Amino acid sequence: MFGGLIDNYTQSILIFTGINIIAAYSFFAPFKTGQVSLGQAGFMAIGAYASAIMTQKMGLPFALALPIGGVAAGVIGVIVGFPALRIKGVYLLLLTLGLSEIIQVIILSWDYTGGAQGFRNIPFNRHTIGWCFGLIVVLMIFFARLERSSLGRAMDSIQQDETAAEAMGVDVVRTKLFAFGTGAAIAGLAGALFAHQTTYVDSTTFNILLSIEILTFVVVGGGSTCWGPAVGAFVLTLLPQLLRTFRDALELTPVSWTNFYPMNRIYDFLYDFLDFENAKRLIAFGVILIVMMIVRPDGLLTRDSMRWLSLARWSAKHA
Amino acid sequence: MFYQQLINGLMLGASYSLVAIGYTLIFGVLNLLYFSHGEVFMVGAFVGLFLVLYAGTNIYVALLGAMIVCAILGALAFFVAVRPVPKDRPLAPLISTIGLTIILQNLAIYVFGGQQFSFPETIHQALYHIGPITVSSVQLFILGVAITLMVALWLFIERTKLGRAMRAVAENHETAALLGVNVNRVVLITFIIGSGIAGVAGVLDGLKNSSVSPFMGLGAAVKGLIVMLLGGLGNVPGAMIAGLLLGTIEILSAAYIGTTERDFFSFLILILILLYRPTGLFGTRTAEQG
Repeated sequence: MFGGLIDNYTQSILIFTGINIIAAYSFFAPFKTGQVSLGQAGFMAIGAYASAIMTQKMGLPFALALPIGGVAAGVIGVIVGFPALRIKGVYLLLLTLGLSEIIQVIILSWDYTGGAQGFRNIPFNRHTIGWCFGLIVVLMIFFARLERSSLGRAMDSIQQDETAAEAMGVDVVRTKLFAFGTGAAIAGLAGALFAHQTTYVDSTTFNILLSIEILTFVVVGGGSTCWGPAVGAFVLTLLPQLLRTFRDALELTPVSWTNFYPMNRIYDFLYDFLDFENAKRLIAFGVILIVMMIVRPDGLLTRDSMRWLSLARWSAKHA
Repeated sequence: MFYQQLINGLMLGASYSLVAIGYTLIFGVLNLLYFSHGEVFMVGAFVGLFLVLYAGTNIYVALLGAMIVCAILGALAFFVAVRPVPKDRPLAPLISTIGLTIILQNLAIYVFGGQQFSFPETIHQALYHIGPITVSSVQLFILGVAITLMVALWLFIERTKLGRAMRAVAENHETAALLGVNVNRVVLITFIIGSGIAGVAGVLDGLKNSSVSPFMGLGAAVKGLIVMLLGGLGNVPGAMIAGLLLGTIEILSAAYIGTTERDFFSFLILILILLYRPTGLFGTRTAEQG
């Protein structure tokens, strides 16, 4: 789609950012009703495998396999959602974690899709970036409209106080099931996009670390508005890349500026500091998470900051 | 054969129990999921390894060293990632301790590299035959240390003043504070004790598998969570028994059904417990409160 505009490296970063944003929304849907899931990676795995079976084994086009992946994950999500209705908090967290681990074990022992060798030779989809950002736009519109709809308000009320919501006539069971199933389906779509981008998935691709990462996207971005998940996924995926860009920018400094004391020392220090190999980068990431939770526990974007943003826009218009 | 597997299962379960005790203690007093516990366990294993390998100490000193370092680490974790985070948002401490988990794991990778270290042979190798069962000296050592620790902890909780304060805080923070318990101090001590035990568990795990790696924390953390749930959240004797039970079930299913299915069964048990007996096998709390 944007083939001529950007190079492959940038494109692949954008694609994985996009997939992460979609995955963040998959966590956000059940989260809106107070259900915290640590199993979104499991639903991504279902979507990835279901769609890859469709394209690789059945020869269906990707456009058809993508919704099939989403529906497969969504159906399983609703089936899982029923028992999950009864439990909350830490218990639900552990239940979803256990489910995604079970999905991993099933994948590992299922020879039809390669078992432990992994699912190879999934057809590559050249238009992933278009699909990704198309889907993100749809999701954003969906969640923005949901926020102002009666269903969205019902979800918010369940998150605040389930008993009170039920007493006010909210159909708690249906709303929670809808939220959980929608989340699973969105995760399935993200998984399908992922599988057809990397062309290879195995049982460890969608592990608990991925579920944790998805959770951090939403909490860091802010789970109280529909823009938070996108912001969180965007910032946390691109942050490491930005750190790399800073170093590249540093390299552009003319040598004549830095070949004398103390500038050379400062340059070397900055260069080493920004030379983020994986372990160092992840340490920085961990520090950011802790600081973030101390300073802004509600995430980057909260309802208040959204109100402030819209106020700023309003005052700019009427100045 | 069956008895042999049973013994092997108990060995595996002993280290699960030790990890889960820390979880359940911390969950008991703070009602939060503390995610870094597995990495404390990993750090304990490395401290033990380095004491044996480079300081040339015997295994008892290594155990004690790991316990002390991990206790300090637990206190640090409390001050860095738990105490400053607001309590009224249930996800905030989860994320901050996930952050700490990432830091500790990658610090270990950064310092030691991503490879496995083999744990030296520190205990005189011997095999004892008791009827149809063969037990190695290492296995006996592991089981002995684990059981001694558990009994000591149980006595501490049941018989000492501080243990009583811990139980009071686990029951209710406000009431305990009104009755003159220094809640903050008790919580800190809980972190110290739980983390110290995790450190010992790490060394024992290194002994058992004769290897230590920066990636050993996550698996221990997940298994510890399952055991905590199986025993009932906040229930210390429950966690002890549940750990032994889970270890036995895993080894038996690996022996008679298949190694791939081993994890399947532990997670299946997790889900069944969550759905049908969310208070755990011996627990007192309900899923509604969690």
